[in-house]
Amino acid sequence: MAFLQVIDLVKDFGGVVANNHISFDIDQGEIIGLIGPNGAGKTTLFNCIVGYHKPDSGKVVFKGKEITGLKPFMTNREGIGRTFQIMKVTAGMTVLENVLVGAFCRTDNRHLAKVEASAILGFLGLDEVREYHLNELPIASQKKVGLARALATQPELLMLDEVASGLNPKETEEMVALLKRIHQEKKITLFLIEHVMEVVMPISQKVIVLDGGEKIADGLPKEIVKNERVIKAYLGEKYAKGL
Amino acid sequence: METLRDAFDFSDFSRAERIGLGLFTLFLFIFPWLGFGSFVKTVMIYFLLFSLFGMGWNTIGGYGGQVELGKAQYVGIGAYTVALMMVWWKIPFWVSMPIGVLIALGYSFMIGYPLFRLKGHYFAIATICTSLVLQDIFINWKLVGAAKGIELPIHDHPDFLYMQFKSDTYYFYFIMALFYAGLFYMNWFRKSKLGYQLRIIKDDEEAAESLGIDARWCKIKAYSIASAFVAVGGGFLAVFNLYIDPYSVMDLDLSIKIALMAMLGGAASMWGPIIGAAFLIPLDRFLGSWLGGHKGLIGVDFMIYAAMIMIVSAYQPRGIWGIIEQFRRRGA
Repeated sequence: MAFLQVIDLVKDFGGVVANNHISFDIDQGEIIGLIGPNGAGKTTLFNCIVGYHKPDSGKVVFKGKEITGLKPFMTNREGIGRTFQIMKVTAGMTVLENVLVGAFCRTDNRHLAKVEASAILGFLGLDEVREYHLNELPIASQKKVGLARALATQPELLMLDEVASGLNPKETEEMVALLKRIHQEKKITLFLIEHVMEVVMPISQKVIVLDGGEKIADGLPKEIVKNERVIKAYLGEKYAKGL
Repeated sequence: METLRDAFDFSDFSRAERIGLGLFTLFLFIFPWLGFGSFVKTVMIYFLLFSLFGMGWNTIGGYGGQVELGKAQYVGIGAYTVALMMVWWKIPFWVSMPIGVLIALGYSFMIGYPLFRLKGHYFAIATICTSLVLQDIFINWKLVGAAKGIELPIHDHPDFLYMQFKSDTYYFYFIMALFYAGLFYMNWFRKSKLGYQLRIIKDDEEAAESLGIDARWCKIKAYSIASAFVAVGGGFLAVFNLYIDPYSVMDLDLSIKIALMAMLGGAASMWGPIIGAAFLIPLDRFLGSWLGGHKGLIGVDFMIYAAMIMIVSAYQPRGIWGIIEQFRRRGA
């Protein structure tokens, strides 16, 4: 039994078919990359799985239970966490409070939630900025906060939407190391949308490629980079030659 | 136990805030003995009452960030329950007030459920509408006195069962007790799970949902808490004025005042609603009685009132408390 199954999923935005009959499986403990050019339907696919969009047809099955069309807070309670490509950066709450809200998802006790939130902040190296507001932080830390609060809900599957966008090469490297640690130490299955090949290729065990709403390929990273269609649609000749 | 400890624990406030609260409490305790006349005492009573209203509004309007402009209907529900039960069945305040709160809770869940399908401006408009509809029903409902309202039968002074007194001092301490009950509740609320969840819903509802938060249900809960607060105040209003009609306890004007005071003082802060009420109630009352009495100056009080609100909201959308915090940050 696959951990997450997407079966023949269709999402049609009144003429624009953002996801056209997409199917794939993810096994527990994998790291899966989802790549494709802008407008390929990657975020829409995420939103359909998590519940921000209701798919027009098709099924999403998580741990053997159908979750198609469940609201985002319900899929989260089933064990799916997600981060956003663009995080709303507000002055409303501190870093600690943000993570605390995530931890409250699993407990009603404020002290337990605080312990959990502190542990996660420590794990991600955010201890020093815990009292800062989001708008006072550099983008790399903001991304980590997004990660931290999703982790605080104790997901089994974590879906990351462009977690490395806007980061410089050094920060990207740190993020990759962090993702590896999350995967190994917390035993969380990762499913990531990513444009930065330096992130996807080294850590993904499998890569799914979307283009124009259709799945054009999936497989091992080293197979994907040699796939003619993928090179044409997305990677470009240059990247293929570099390999 | 822990809930109680959280409610009475003000240790995360700054020293200045705690001293301020202490002095303020001391002032309230001795206020009736300072020799002020009944006009000033009434102003103080209204100040505490509107602080209570504002604190209630602050749960959904401040922490939850929903522009809620229909709180007057719950003032009405609280006030009418107390008044009618006393007139019809001679039921004491201490029984009818909790019943009023329960009715307000039930009613708020009922209309909160469809109401929170709406967002932003549409939600604000819908809250105004529900309040106006209820007011219209009461204006035309003969059984509850229609537009004439109801008068409460007067009891001998002092009556602690029906909460009727001749002297404002009694009413003052009574509303002060309710005010502090509200204050301690809010001190617990802002640290509670629901408090945090509302704040992230206000910041980013999408993200909140991704963290396992049922945003709509949270808003309904907060809306009901706010309604319960306001219904308590409504009950007080009935026994304080001994007369209620749909215009005095269910008016749109009242709804807007409640929201405005909390916003002016500083929404989503502990002291905002109190500061807002401390500004606007005396302004409203004193300006009204000083300027309103002069020929040619009628309406000037409203102009000053409006100008103040515009200045504060233009300068700092987070209200007077926002301005204070801004200065504190700069100083630090």
